[in-house]
Amino acid sequence: MAGLDQKSPNVLLQSLCCRIMGKSEVDVAHQFQYAVRVVGSNYAPTIERDEFLVAEKIKKELVKQRREADAALLSELHRKLQSQGVLKNRWSILYLLLSLCEDPRKPPVRVANYAALFAQALPRDAQSTPQYYCARPQSLPLSYPDRTQSAQSSGSMGSSGVSSLSIYATNGPTPTPQSLLPGQTQGMGDSLRQQLSSRLAWNLSAAAPSVPTSTSRGLANSVPRSVPRSRREGDTGSGSVEISESALVRDILYVFQGIDGKCIKMCSSESCYKIDGKIAISKSLRDITSRLAELGWLHNKVRKYTDQRSLDRAFGLVGQSFCAALHQELKEYYRLLSVLHSQLQVEDDQGVNLGVENSLTLRRLLVWTYDPKIRLKTLAALVDHCQGRKGGELSSAVHAYGKTGDPYMRALVQHILSLVSHPILNFLYRWIYDGELEDTYHEFFVASDPTVKTDRLWHDKYTLRKSMIPSFIAMDQARKVLLIGKSINFLHQVCHDRTPPGKIIAASKSVDSPKDAAELFTDLEGAFQSNIDAAYFETSKYLLDVLNKNYHLLEHMQAMRRYLLLGQGDFIRHLMDLLKPELVRPATTLYQHNLTGILETAVRATNAQFDSPEILKRLDVRLLEVSPGDTGWDVFSMDYHVDGPIATVFTRECMSHYLRVFNFLWRAKRMEYILTDIWKGQMCNAKLLKSMPELSGVLHQCHILASEMVHFIHQMQYYITFEVLECSWDELWNKVQQAQDLDHIIAAHEVFLDTIISRCLLDTNSRALLNQLRAIFDQIIEFQNAQDTLYRAALEELQLRLQFEDRKKRLQSEGEWGVTAADEQVENKRVQEFCETIPKMRSQLRILTHFYQGIVQQFLVLLMTSTDESLQFLSFRLDFNEHYKAREPRLRMSMGTTRGRRSSYM
Amino acid sequence: ISTSLNPLLFISVLLEISRLLNTGLDMESLSICVRLCEQGINPEALSSVIKELRKASEGLKVRINKYCLF
Repeated sequence: MAGLDQKSPNVLLQSLCCRIMGKSEVDVAHQFQYAVRVVGSNYAPTIERDEFLVAEKIKKELVKQRREADAALLSELHRKLQSQGVLKNRWSILYLLLSLCEDPRKPPVRVANYAALFAQALPRDAQSTPQYYCARPQSLPLSYPDRTQSAQSSGSMGSSGVSSLSIYATNGPTPTPQSLLPGQTQGMGDSLRQQLSSRLAWNLSAAAPSVPTSTSRGLANSVPRSVPRSRREGDTGSGSVEISESALVRDILYVFQGIDGKCIKMCSSESCYKIDGKIAISKSLRDITSRLAELGWLHNKVRKYTDQRSLDRAFGLVGQSFCAALHQELKEYYRLLSVLHSQLQVEDDQGVNLGVENSLTLRRLLVWTYDPKIRLKTLAALVDHCQGRKGGELSSAVHAYGKTGDPYMRALVQHILSLVSHPILNFLYRWIYDGELEDTYHEFFVASDPTVKTDRLWHDKYTLRKSMIPSFIAMDQARKVLLIGKSINFLHQVCHDRTPPGKIIAASKSVDSPKDAAELFTDLEGAFQSNIDAAYFETSKYLLDVLNKNYHLLEHMQAMRRYLLLGQGDFIRHLMDLLKPELVRPATTLYQHNLTGILETAVRATNAQFDSPEILKRLDVRLLEVSPGDTGWDVFSMDYHVDGPIATVFTRECMSHYLRVFNFLWRAKRMEYILTDIWKGQMCNAKLLKSMPELSGVLHQCHILASEMVHFIHQMQYYITFEVLECSWDELWNKVQQAQDLDHIIAAHEVFLDTIISRCLLDTNSRALLNQLRAIFDQIIEFQNAQDTLYRAALEELQLRLQFEDRKKRLQSEGEWGVTAADEQVENKRVQEFCETIPKMRSQLRILTHFYQGIVQQFLVLLMTSTDESLQFLSFRLDFNEHYKAREPRLRMSMGTTRGRRSSYM
Repeated sequence: ISTSLNPLLFISVLLEISRLLNTGLDMESLSICVRLCEQGINPEALSSVIKELRKASEGLKVRINKYCLF
């Protein structure tokens, strides 16, 4: 082949002609001339000398023909070729091959016309150059009325060829409107210009659209952007660069993505897209461009948000799903843009031969981007609204936007909402069904405090993070949710109950996909609510069952009542009996173990022994702090140990309340006890002391005072036992039986204790009352002491007198003087002394009585003015016969005034 | 397998490509084309020439065929 290399192009051409025509050299003279002419005139290639581009085009062509495997093969071959490095102009030969490429699927070309064409088209005279060979874009007249006419008027070009030009495969996007737009004629002028200069490649091959692409693309590329292709009415004046609409279209397509175009740039001061002022453009175009540029602005806004947020590490799952949703929407938008781009590309490929009716204009863009614009507007508004929010707040913000009447916008927002709340629902379901909380970014509305230990788990560990509650979850639903998870955790950690939650809740659903979430939101009232309710009901019931069966919560509550609140009467009485001699001693001499032993004795001797050992082992004696001068009575207290889950209900505070109440009740009981003793003493000694008539006055006083005191204490006890303890206990018990969850029980219990404390005058408001009561109790003790001394003295005196009488009798019986004068004198003296002490006693008692009554009256006054109704009723009972009222003018007045006052606010 | 030693092998690659693309060029024509291109001929023009020639030959064949019918 070395010979061939040195041959001149002409020679080669000739041999090529021979080859193709299949004839000898002589016969191909015409063709040879023609070939030489063509080659000579079109010397400079108009396409890019880019091998890569050409190779890509070849591949595209193959793909278009659906021969992907061949495309791969081609890449392989091309690589091989490149590696060989022999050829200098690889692009050239590749281009040639491409242009000669024929799609095997295409129908065979029509042959009939070619002869006629050929006969016409090739002049014999080798010198004459037909018009078209020298055609340059600018030199041709512009206006042609329509295509077919222009075809004919170009005379020697051949009619059929041009008409075949009308067959263009427009592979533009499907929404291409077919209407003819104004300015078509100018566009046609363009198309003709194009076709004239590339006619050779075009004609006769209507079935090979791939061919025109090569040459026309080259031509299209050669046309610089700023060359005016069409002129619209009302064009601008001279002196400024003119922009064609297609250039604007190109720019706009860039602006749609947020990239500055050649003419339309982002003006950051006004934060909008503006057309360069230097460019002359008609007002209507400017307007349309501005309207279209808004889309780019909206896109930028959304894009900026998603880009910023993707960098934010602490944005959390909800925020990320929001960004993902926005991304999806943007992808759709980009898809539209790529469709538009490809439309533009097709136009370029085939020249503007498509005619304006199929080309991309600003107006067309306006129509096509109308829907996306609405969408982007909604997204941008959402982005604005959701700035700076995350977690549940974010989903609330999105939800708020869903409350619109526009169904299109509502559907969009609903879709985004379902994506955004998917993580929240995941959190929710995990929390409800497993009690697990994995919330690194603090997005969920249940917050867990890791510093809290197990004993305070129920009360302190889990709280509601109110800001993160989404607006589609009501407050009480949120509380229920908190409770459910809390219960599960409580069961696991405090009750050590490892039952898998699957057993607790029979039918549990988990949100597997955003679709479920979307379903939930369309049916917020139904499934979602019922899920939560069912979970709540089951979990709480289970928890209460565990507490009652395994930990005997209710039994302990009853035990508290019996022991700490002195419910078990016989036991308390016996205990007091046993403890009495111990407790009168000074407090410092008491030992706990002694007292515990006594406690156990009491337990064994009474009905308390039939209680379960679980309860009995928790009973204990506790000695309070000793202040100087205290007797045992002041420091004695009982205790009930609680631990584990029970301690959640009976917290330390509750226990301290219980102890205070116990103290109070114990004291009151002691008073009762004392008075019983007094009464006993009185009954016993009355008979005995009948023989001492001088004492009768004193004794009478004693009796009266004692009765008053008894009445008082009696009423107090009644009040405490029935109005305070029994009623509250009844309420508590009812509530506890009906309780649906542990919170109810805890709340009811706290209410119970609060009521008791306030009614037993132990709260801070009733301090005055309590002091009065204490004073009364002290008086009673005083009285007891006084009475004791009185009786002791009286009985001693009686004893002595009896002795005297006895001695008298004895002596008489022995025959002596019963009573000597000296004896009698001594006796009389003694009796005299005794009788003298009586007034002292009497006055003492009188003072005591007076004092006592004063205190009681003050007490009554305080009771009257208290706000608690039951205390007011107590005052009535205490003074049922208005005994005190008669003596105390203050009482009279205060009763009247307070009565009036009371009735005003009753 | 490196084929850089054999200068003729590139032609077979090109033949393969042309076969893939269904250009209808045989070996000799292809080699002529390669020479022409290497010498700097505009491939656009060349391809248009080839196409014209082909169509001409087709037309002639038809004519001949037509005439042969009679």
